[in-house]
Amino acid sequence: MTAGSLTAALAVLFAGVWICVAPALTRPTLQFGVRVPPQLTGAAVIRRERRAYYWRATAVVVCCTAAALALAGSGSPRLTVVVLPAELAAGLGCFWVARERITAVKNAEGWFAGLRQAVAADTSWRTEPLRFPVAWLMPPVAVLVATAVIGAARYPDLPSRLAVGFAASGAPDRWVRKSAWGAFSKVAGQLWVTSLWTGLLLIIYRSRPDTDASEGADSTRRYRRFLATYSRALLVLVTLVNVSLMLAALRDWQAYRLSGIGAALPILPAAAGLLILVAVAVRTGQAGSRLPGPADRRSPVVNRDDDRLWKGGLIYINRDDPAIMVGNRFGVGWTPNLGNPKGCLLYGGILAAIIALAVVRAVIGT
Amino acid sequence: MLLTVEPDGPVPIYQQIRDRIVEAIASGQQPAGSALPSTRQLAVDLGVNFHTVNKSYDILRQEGLVRINRKSGAVIRRDAGSGPPDASWTRDWTGRLATLLAEAAAQGMGPEEIAVHCRTAVTAFAFPEEAETTGKESQP
Repeated sequence: MTAGSLTAALAVLFAGVWICVAPALTRPTLQFGVRVPPQLTGAAVIRRERRAYYWRATAVVVCCTAAALALAGSGSPRLTVVVLPAELAAGLGCFWVARERITAVKNAEGWFAGLRQAVAADTSWRTEPLRFPVAWLMPPVAVLVATAVIGAARYPDLPSRLAVGFAASGAPDRWVRKSAWGAFSKVAGQLWVTSLWTGLLLIIYRSRPDTDASEGADSTRRYRRFLATYSRALLVLVTLVNVSLMLAALRDWQAYRLSGIGAALPILPAAAGLLILVAVAVRTGQAGSRLPGPADRRSPVVNRDDDRLWKGGLIYINRDDPAIMVGNRFGVGWTPNLGNPKGCLLYGGILAAIIALAVVRAVIGT
Repeated sequence: MLLTVEPDGPVPIYQQIRDRIVEAIASGQQPAGSALPSTRQLAVDLGVNFHTVNKSYDILRQEGLVRINRKSGAVIRRDAGSGPPDASWTRDWTGRLATLLAEAAAQGMGPEEIAVHCRTAVTAFAFPEEAETTGKESQP
């Protein structure tokens, strides 16, 4: 098993865990992307579809992880990479089936008929805003700077060909000509990850909180705790990804050499960061929905039924909404508003940067 | 202040925003000198057009309840402790109140019943805790 194939197998496992736990992390009034009134969160169709989803998703994840490990054992990282999109597509299929069945019952029984539907905003979110945790940005920046300094010190002594790919024995099997980009590609990766997540978090801190009209100000209080905790967990992940990239860069610069499974050392910090993020997400739930709070008052209104604004239950498109990013409908996180040109620009910019990095890497590699 | 708006309700959204802010001032949640979010921020938080919030703030400014300037944004100008309002405003409000009470009378509500509803409404914003206790006790 090579480091590359082990990385791909671990990615399949992590994506699988995320697919399996996503319904448990989402707030009870959002079931598989379908808005549900608070009094109907325990409806028979919801309980049945949740059970069915867990069985289907678990089967998909077990099969995909077994396939990835088998392919990794045969030493074919390229084939292992194919398993991940297949797993994501199968997970999406499980989500789609549950969503369609709940929507059908919701429409047939008119779950929102006669209910007062509302949207709510807590003005204290703007007048007493939550501060971005600048201190937590220092560790990833420190790792980035340390990697760049070590690279600059080693660069004059590096050979004319740099090893960037390693076989199971630990021996290099892919080379690039010595150049600033070839030597510092991992530093560029650190810079990309750090600046991307810092930028996204700054936008998220200015975005609207996920306030549920039926829960009132309690939901904003819980969102504050969720954002403070989850953003710190994300910055810890960025730090550990930077550590992983630093270890990979040191290997490229011939500071150490490990063979076999030991060659997978650089991915361990990033894997630990992902585990921490999943643990925090399980603790908080989406927008803090799993955090303990004061007993909910019975509100005369329910959150507005906004299913028509969510395409496929996952993609938010609302031209009348000035928000750039909004809370996810399924799982934990945020998604851009593709009805807003700034949201499209953000999404397109991230995709373009990923494609540009892949193209540059491929060009340098050849 | 929790600002709840019903986008599909019969009352225009700008009017609902204006009404919720007036109620928050009356109940003491937004005292004089306290800040309101900027129009753009509130539009993002409610998922409505920026011009809708702008219209609400403009009405509040014309009513003398909010002061708007470039530096400090929108700030509450008057509250329950700011003293009696202008005579012209009182005259205008009395006219609107007479129409509102006439609606109840036209629907067959007696003077005593109208007075009870008025007292309950005043208690709700002047003594919110008392109104809440009364509401709980009256629940079956």
